[in-house]
Amino acid sequence: MYRYDEFDAALVRERIAEFSDQVDRRSSGALTEDEFKPLRLMNGVYLQLHAYMLRVAVPYGVISSRQMRRLAHVARTYDKGYGHFTTRTNIQFNWPALQDLPAILSDLAEVEMHAIQTSGNCIRNVTTDVFAGVAADEIEDPRPWCEIVRQWSTIHPEFSFLPRKFKIAIVGAPKDRAAVRTHDVGLQIVRGEDGQTAFRVFVGGGQGRLPHIAQEIAPAVPGQSLLAYLTAILRAYNLLGRRDNIHKARIKILVAAIGIDAFRDEVERQFAILRQEDLRIPDEELARIQAYFTPPPFADLPATSPAYDAARRLNPEFARFTRSNLREHKQAGYGAVIVSLKPIGGVPGDITAAQMDVVADLAARFSFHEVRASYEQNLVLPHVRLEDVHAVWSRLREAGLATANADLATDIIACPGLDYCSLANARSIPVAQALSHQLADAALLEKLGPVRINISGCINACGHHHVGHIGVLGVDRKGEEYYQITVGGSPDEQAALGEIVGRSLPAEEVAPAIARALDRYLEIRNDGELFIDTVRRLGADPFRTAIYELTDAAA
Amino acid sequence: MQLLEQVQDGVRLSVSTPEEDVRAAATANDSLILEFEAFRDGRGFSLAAVLRGLGYRGRLIAAGKVLPDQARHLRRCGFDAVELSPGADPAPWRRMDQVFSAAYQPASGDDRLVWRQRHTNPDAALAARLNAQWGQAAAEDLLRAVLDPALERKAAVISSFGAEAAVLLHLISRVRPDLPVVFLETGQHFFQTLAYRRELTERLGLTDVRDIKPEAAALSKADPRGDLWRSAPDACCTIRKVQPLAQALAGFDTRITGRKRYQNSHRAALEPFEAADGVLTVNPLAAWSADQTETWLRDHQLPRHPLVEQGYPSIGCWPCTRAVETGENARDGRWAGQEKTECGIHERALAPAC
Ligand code: HEM
Ligand code: SF4
Ligand code: SF4
Repeated sequence: MYRYDEFDAALVRERIAEFSDQVDRRSSGALTEDEFKPLRLMNGVYLQLHAYMLRVAVPYGVISSRQMRRLAHVARTYDKGYGHFTTRTNIQFNWPALQDLPAILSDLAEVEMHAIQTSGNCIRNVTTDVFAGVAADEIEDPRPWCEIVRQWSTIHPEFSFLPRKFKIAIVGAPKDRAAVRTHDVGLQIVRGEDGQTAFRVFVGGGQGRLPHIAQEIAPAVPGQSLLAYLTAILRAYNLLGRRDNIHKARIKILVAAIGIDAFRDEVERQFAILRQEDLRIPDEELARIQAYFTPPPFADLPATSPAYDAARRLNPEFARFTRSNLREHKQAGYGAVIVSLKPIGGVPGDITAAQMDVVADLAARFSFHEVRASYEQNLVLPHVRLEDVHAVWSRLREAGLATANADLATDIIACPGLDYCSLANARSIPVAQALSHQLADAALLEKLGPVRINISGCINACGHHHVGHIGVLGVDRKGEEYYQITVGGSPDEQAALGEIVGRSLPAEEVAPAIARALDRYLEIRNDGELFIDTVRRLGADPFRTAIYELTDAAA
Repeated sequence: MQLLEQVQDGVRLSVSTPEEDVRAAATANDSLILEFEAFRDGRGFSLAAVLRGLGYRGRLIAAGKVLPDQARHLRRCGFDAVELSPGADPAPWRRMDQVFSAAYQPASGDDRLVWRQRHTNPDAALAARLNAQWGQAAAEDLLRAVLDPALERKAAVISSFGAEAAVLLHLISRVRPDLPVVFLETGQHFFQTLAYRRELTERLGLTDVRDIKPEAAALSKADPRGDLWRSAPDACCTIRKVQPLAQALAGFDTRITGRKRYQNSHRAALEPFEAADGVLTVNPLAAWSADQTETWLRDHQLPRHPLVEQGYPSIGCWPCTRAVETGENARDGRWAGQEKTECGIHERALAPAC
């Protein structure tokens, strides 16, 4: 993984000095609250319902054991002993005191972490495929490019006061495991005509009140021109994006308003007049960064492990875990283990300090000191020998981290909702918990297969409900918490927005309604057909009927 | 960036002016004032960047609602000056303009680019990266990292075949048994060392151990009787070690040594990877303790240098090595009674061979 050199380290230290100066000027009254707010947001400091929240960046989701231990230390020392992983692979601390922030940031800086640009109208943390460097279908490892974009976008002089926030995701495989089409800019690595690295560029995706799936703006921008092309997009957006209405300020609205073709013309015009040679990534810099992402020193192992196979035969619970939470690795004899942050009845994405330490230790012993954070709000140990998977599982199980539900119906993505968030209409967490209890049966889960359920507490869509196979949105009906259900959304390379099935339901009816929809799926699916494919084949109607069955009967 | 406390005369345009109109105004004027209507409205930054990108050489002044915290954004996007609002304190402007010592992104007229600074010394950058990435790793992983074919390093190992040499050579045999291993055959070694060199080579399956001998002509001229060590050990080391080693290593850009921090005070700050004079030096065992070394030798049942049993914990040429008493430092037996602690090779961060 990438490690800071003296320049990276200096910039993070200087950023803390800058922020301290800003906090002092706020205290003395030299900065008004209105002026201070965007500056604090660009350092990851939010004001929530009950307290400040600090959002720490995990650049493209890669964390070392040492960093994970430090996050545990922050949770233990300055917070209530836990943290929360988000869909954009950041970690949030919900209860830090304002006066502790400089100390927290310094503690994080020591392990090369920061909260820079995790919020605010600037370019946010770049995200990627959690299986980067692991998945066999990868054309090229996207992480070096993520790091290049991270550096280029950090403390950017021109793009720190954009109309609205700006999110970039990069994948290196045709299979999209990072929801790139829901981003302001999504990048997919392809091979250019010359056989070199190029990027298929999508623009104008986003969720929130007016959700949009990103559209293709360029089929293959050469790697060397990537930063110039991104500059042209951002420049066009910065100059033309709306600033009069916060709900219409994202790039998705601009692209939808003028159309993708007109927007492309505008980007190409800017591209033609900017000084591209300055932005061409020097070969030696690309090579320097790529060198950090060479594979770890894998052992030469046979593709199968008798010990692992025997453990699977002897222990059905372990076997189930491997079926749901173990992913193939391109290196023979290794696998990637998904650490579930979705225990039955738990808060999706939450992790305690003690659990962070367990994950850090397991990574140190079994996964070359490396952990990944995923879009699904889980963690991954990316490089585990098959023969070690049983040991890893046993330890995870003791720590409550081995729920066998990765990508299954209880692997729910949910935002913090009204329990924490000042913008919420409704709570998300209790709905997620109820659903998780409702679907807890492991055999049922496995029978249902991959189903992605997403919950947001309001239309800002932090829980990505628009692109959930099943989405749940909290709405306010005359002061009461109600939930609207969508079906058929998808965040991947076949990205789609879900269809609203009908009127909203009160909290206690959500879980049973979804359970009925899933039962209906089992009745009507073709052999081996996934939930989302059944929805694509038959549309939302059969599920609508199932969802409203009981309530309609009662009415 | 210049801080202007007076209101400036000249063409004044709001940052909400369309880009074409700003460009037209720039063509007609050698100075422009861009007025920010709200500090959150970042259009002014892009307008300045567009003008500078097009080669505009006139003076650009920012005015209106801007914060000291935006000083460097303004400067780096191409503004020359900012018109302060009446009564504004210039001190935070100066501070905030200079908070960052370097920048990642190329921007108008900026010379402190991280990209550029990084590549002034590529080996130093490589050493820094490898230390950051592998400094804490196990010695074998660290070796694999630097011997990764992708790095295209030409590497050689330098070994004394002394008391602890077996550890490094054992690791090498596990990673790349065909790697060149340079042994300085000074002509003054204990015969036990020469026997040990053969035994260890065979036992570990090392296939390219090279005996590097002093040049015969130089030797017969400067040290015909083989006793130069008595009068001038530095000169002796020069002909018997420093010069032959330099010749043997020409063509290699990476040298792997078995030096360890605990060995003497000069080595206390030894890093696993060092860069100097266009050469990368790798010290995989830098952080190892004496106990760790002993344990490794024992656990892997590696043959020991025959003189270890006789109280020689550090072994070089026979004239310059003696056994140490209990309580003495291991290297106290080298050049005993002299100021000399290293043979002069190490000064260039090259070798442990003494
Ligand atoms: C609790 C404090 C939080 C606040 C105040 C907050 C606020 C917001 C707002 C206002 C938006 C809509 C932005 C827009 O559409 O322009 C948004 C979107 C989003 N937030 Fe949050 N959020 C919070 C927590 C989270 C968490 C915990 C996650 C991850 C689970 C998250 C991830 C996202 C994502 C992925 C979006 C959608 C981005 C898009 O539109 O493409 N946020 N958030
Ligand atoms: S979706 Fe709404 S309720 Fe949930 S975190 Fe985002 S802003 Fe808050
Ligand atoms: S160690 Fe002694 S004998 Fe060997 S080269 Fe140096 S001075 Fe000469």
